[in-house]
Amino acid sequence: MADLLPPLGTAQIDGKTKVDEKVDYSNLPCPVPYEELHREAIMSLKADNFEGLRFDFSKGLNQKFSLSHSVMMGPTEVPSQSPDTTIKIPTAHYEFGANYFDPKLMLIGRLMTDGRLNARVKADLTDRLVLKANGQLSNEPHMSHAMFNFDYMGSDYRAQLQLGNSALIGATYIQSVTPRLSLGGEVFWAGVPRKSGIGYAARYDTDKMVATAQVASTGTIAMNYVQKISEKVSLATDFAYNYLSRDVVASVGYDYILRQSRVRGKIDSNGVASALLEERLSMGLNFLLSAELDHKKKDYKFGFGLTVG
Amino acid sequence: MATKRTGAGKSGGRDSSILAKIANHEIANKGRRAACDAVYVSKKLLRSTGKAAWIVGTSFLILVVPLLIQAERDQMLGEIELQQASILGPPPPGALQ
Repeated sequence: MADLLPPLGTAQIDGKTKVDEKVDYSNLPCPVPYEELHREAIMSLKADNFEGLRFDFSKGLNQKFSLSHSVMMGPTEVPSQSPDTTIKIPTAHYEFGANYFDPKLMLIGRLMTDGRLNARVKADLTDRLVLKANGQLSNEPHMSHAMFNFDYMGSDYRAQLQLGNSALIGATYIQSVTPRLSLGGEVFWAGVPRKSGIGYAARYDTDKMVATAQVASTGTIAMNYVQKISEKVSLATDFAYNYLSRDVVASVGYDYILRQSRVRGKIDSNGVASALLEERLSMGLNFLLSAELDHKKKDYKFGFGLTVG
Repeated sequence: MATKRTGAGKSGGRDSSILAKIANHEIANKGRRAACDAVYVSKKLLRSTGKAAWIVGTSFLILVVPLLIQAERDQMLGEIELQQASILGPPPPGALQ
């Protein structure tokens, strides 16, 4: 590229050789899936803080097949009438899971001691069409549901059709407009509460930062921004506003990925500070510590866990 | 003042009336109110400073302390690796890595 400096007279060839300045609009990259639009922000800001003990053990029987056992003991919150008090009921359950991973087919099943069965399937029907299905069966009546998603990946766009069991239909579409900007929209119609909604989303990413914005007719407006400071550190901030119920939340968080550990912390405008520490004690053995302080409601939650395999 | 000049006021009746007059003077009342207000404001300030210090302190403990500990461990690990690399030298080709 450096030796192709044309003479100043030929302006057209001059324009084409400066490849790094001119965008080739027919060759844009494929955008991220619509539901993963804000995945970098979710990794930092929506870390799964838990309360109590968590133990996960997974064992691979084969190259493709693995089993997992997990035990969770801790209080779970029950929604109460007054917003000030939270009712916590100590629960403990064991979950057995089986996973099958193939390049074209992925099957995951989980069975819990309270009788809930959860199954997920992801199948590549062709190299552009992917079927995802998700189902949950439970003992309680009317709590079972299933959802099917068909994803089509085009050269610079993605389209998804979603069908759910209680007459839920949704579709999303996202398109790369420039190599860095992608815009998308979604439409859904839910049969049981007769509601329909429409939403728009935009994502702008460079090597160092990612900014996304989403607006939906269900009333939410969400914007987030993630800046990658170095290979190990990234900072994220998020703003969510619901114009129907008038709640506003803003949060700031960090994510440090070190060699032996990963620390994620976040502070909120609701007065909630939370942190999650995952440390690799040895090969395949991870130790987790989670803390969440809610200063407004004076509710403090701490958890620890171990992940093997 | 006229009352003070009459015989230094050391007799019992005079004494109480002089002190009573001083104590009931308007300036003394203002001083008393100011002292009450100052105590009230300083109690509130102490309480709110205490609450803020608690919130800031516990949030610092959760958000910053694990990060400092892990960053220091990572740095020490880096130093140990550097030391080992300088002592042992570069690994021979085909070494277990």
